[in-house]
Amino acid sequence: MSSLGFYLLLTAFVVCAYALAASVAGARRRSQRLIESGIGAFYLIAAVMSAASAIIIYAFVAGDYSIKYVARYSDSVQPLFYKITSYWGGLDGSIMFWVFLLSVFGSTAVYVNRERHRELIPYVVAVISVVQMFFLFLMIVHNNPFETYLTETRADGEGLNPLLQNFYMVIHPPTMYTGFVGLTIPYAFGMAALITGYLDDSWLRAVRRWTMISWLFLSVGLGLGMIWAYEELGWGGYWGWDPVENAGLLPWFTATAFLHSVMVQERRGMLRVWNVTLVILTFFLTIFGTFMTRSGIVQSVHAFGEDPELARMFTIFMVSILTISFGFVIYRLPLLRARNELDSWVSREAAFLANNWILLFSAFFVLFATMFPTLSEAVTGERLTVGPPFFNKWMLPIGLVLLLLTGIGPLLAWRKSTLLNLRDQFLIPVAAAAVVGGAIVALGVRVWTSGIAFALCGFVTGTIGQEFWRGARVRQTTTGTDVFTALIGLVARNKRRYGGYIVHIAIVLIFLGFAGEGFKQDEQVLLKPGQQTQVGDFVVRLDAVRVTDDGQKQMITGHTTVFRDGEELARMYPAKWFFRKHEDEPTTEVAIRRSFAEDIYLVMPAFNLEEQSASMQIVINPLVNWVWVGFGLLAVGTLIALLPETVFAFAAARVPANAVTTSLLLLSLVLWPAAVVAQSGQTVSTEQRSALERQLEGEILCTCGCRRPLNDCGMFNCQGHSSQTAKLRQFLSEGQDHDAVIASFVRDFGSEAVLAAPVDRGFNRLAWLFPYLAALTALIAIVVTARRWSHPAALAAAGDAGLDPALSARLDDELRNLD
Amino acid sequence: MSHKAAKLGLTSLVLALAFGALLYSTLGESAQYYKHVEEVMVAPDGWYGTPMQIHGFARDIRRKRDSLEYSFEMHSKGHVVRASYTGIVPDTFKNESEVVLQGTLGPDGFHATGMTAKCPSKYEPQAGGAAGTTGTTAY
Repeated sequence: MSSLGFYLLLTAFVVCAYALAASVAGARRRSQRLIESGIGAFYLIAAVMSAASAIIIYAFVAGDYSIKYVARYSDSVQPLFYKITSYWGGLDGSIMFWVFLLSVFGSTAVYVNRERHRELIPYVVAVISVVQMFFLFLMIVHNNPFETYLTETRADGEGLNPLLQNFYMVIHPPTMYTGFVGLTIPYAFGMAALITGYLDDSWLRAVRRWTMISWLFLSVGLGLGMIWAYEELGWGGYWGWDPVENAGLLPWFTATAFLHSVMVQERRGMLRVWNVTLVILTFFLTIFGTFMTRSGIVQSVHAFGEDPELARMFTIFMVSILTISFGFVIYRLPLLRARNELDSWVSREAAFLANNWILLFSAFFVLFATMFPTLSEAVTGERLTVGPPFFNKWMLPIGLVLLLLTGIGPLLAWRKSTLLNLRDQFLIPVAAAAVVGGAIVALGVRVWTSGIAFALCGFVTGTIGQEFWRGARVRQTTTGTDVFTALIGLVARNKRRYGGYIVHIAIVLIFLGFAGEGFKQDEQVLLKPGQQTQVGDFVVRLDAVRVTDDGQKQMITGHTTVFRDGEELARMYPAKWFFRKHEDEPTTEVAIRRSFAEDIYLVMPAFNLEEQSASMQIVINPLVNWVWVGFGLLAVGTLIALLPETVFAFAAARVPANAVTTSLLLLSLVLWPAAVVAQSGQTVSTEQRSALERQLEGEILCTCGCRRPLNDCGMFNCQGHSSQTAKLRQFLSEGQDHDAVIASFVRDFGSEAVLAAPVDRGFNRLAWLFPYLAALTALIAIVVTARRWSHPAALAAAGDAGLDPALSARLDDELRNLD
Repeated sequence: MSHKAAKLGLTSLVLALAFGALLYSTLGESAQYYKHVEEVMVAPDGWYGTPMQIHGFARDIRRKRDSLEYSFEMHSKGHVVRASYTGIVPDTFKNESEVVLQGTLGPDGFHATGMTAKCPSKYEPQAGGAAGTTGTTAY
């Protein structure tokens, strides 16, 4: 079994090499067959890695303890769930899991984009193959997960560390991994664009979604890690600036920066070098983070074990990444020139730029501080360390500035904000900040950084609230619906933007939790039964220390009662558990009483059964739960931005609304693709085109088979598009006016089918409107009949002509009031 | 172009210098020496009063009755220093466990204000993951 697994890894390596060679050769010789063969090989890697993964999981489940990795990370009594997840429990398996995920993601990305970005695909395959080859190479020569004991035969394994036998620890690493590995895809596309020189914005479109998905996983992974640290490790906090934590944060900074700056490139054609650089840096930092935590280069309290061999291989790989990637950037600089210059510093692009600088600075700062012990040792020979206070001293103001920019960015206009619209935009958010700030001062809050954070939270909330409100109002007037319908319609029409705003609200909530940290209270005491201690508003009394056993573990529990204002608030049971076979590694079971205002967090790190005493750590963590709520909302916001259009069309169509509202909504759905694609930036082009040309582009269909107007063709590099556009330009340059151009197109094409209008508005709209038209006709018929019947015969004699004006006026009224 | 480049360069330079200066000044306050017991105890006099972290193995752990005051010896490669610490100790703090202490050295021994114990050897942090500060760091 183990040798089969190892051979599969070898096979994967060989196939990778072939995919690389075939793709590059195919692209250079323009041989479609070679390229196809490379892509086929690329899919094969995913299959081979799946098989290898299946084997290691089988080994865990079946308990094949002849494999060292299986013996080290599982045992026979482990629940099945943990046996399976032990796959990524250690270094060797986690590298294999990395390759497995990368092969699956890479195949998916190539499959999805193989038509649209045909010219990039061979190099995407090549780049991903190189990365896979590196990790496969590591496994083959250094970290083989299928390695077996040579002579020993083992009956049972050592078991997974109890600390890791926790729900969060099961889902946190793969979430983190998905984020890390997913960020390889944008890098591969970016590199492919650099290599081929197709440096228009098409590669950005291909990777935007991937970056967003990876970012989502990375964020959620960080959040889960924080929850795990908070609930399991029992030191009262959730972030300690440990190198392992920082490793996850580094690419998050640069990926966040990229998600913002990509909009500037889409809208304004600027920051093109910057975006490529960010993609490269993000990928580099995922590898660097892995290297940092794996090779023992950074000394941490975690038992990493130094591994100079691994460090050397990683170093070679990382240096190659940087040299080759930035070599290509420099080589392609002429193609990466910005199409526009910054018009004003009071503009949205400037705000994005500032946000990018700060995020990048954060990444470099965290990197520097994490590496500082290693750097100082290398430079001076003395190992100097910096602790969490140093990180906090720097990251606190940086975080506040970022929060401020979160609020400012949406208020500024693209290109340039005038004084008038500045006043108009900033009034409400600043007022919100002032109200919150004033309230804070009035309440006598003493931690000023937290106070500023609260005021900024008010500012950002004001900004986003205003954006939603104004958008909804505009939509309400244009669609005539109620505010709620308009709000949903607004989000649905502009998912990326409003999804982004929801993420910003999530960030506000997370910062709210961070700000609460300023009011944290922490007390360490030794208590005997009956003794009590006061922490803040709370009194904690130890009632007893009891020992119980459930067969799997021995549990020492401190029974405590918490009082506030003399009233019993809760009974809490912090404990220590001693698992069988892991008696020397007891786990600390934290007792937490949650509420939105604050958490009471009790830990019993030590006890003495003879004395019946327990040392207690009592932490009051104000507002901490908002951090978790924030992470949840962040996921929701990102998902809204990510959801495919069709999901939303369905959801929006079900919005309850009355007749005309619905018809308008449905009409807007007919025009949906245009709106969505427009907002996602596909039509963005800064070439100067006349209004007429743009209007016509919306009226003439592309002939590539997409059945969409020219300005909305979803196919990239499509033939029909360019020929039609060229034709349009030609007609326009001949001085033809709107109708003449339309006529020329119809003449050339042979029928009106080349026009968007009949297709979009003709049958479809008729179909939508038909029920309403039918209802309208029926209504008119009823009104007319009713009037006829109710009028005296004498009047009827006056004839239809006399009735007409009154009837039509009333009809108009009634029709107007119909909705 | 050259004008723009000059402006850009100057701005970057000023920013870089400002950050450098800030970094340097804050580093001076925050940086601590990270030493092994034997490195310090060769010539302890020079280290008196310097905030530092010291790495070694604990032994002869004693606790004052009804308190959280610990007194123990830190040893490494034949050198020994007496250390004291008040507070909650990590689970893994026991005789011959690997410990990193934060604090200052004085003539009467090392006064620790913080203690971090090395994780259990089998604990391997999850790759790329935020594994947190393991071993109940006493903050």
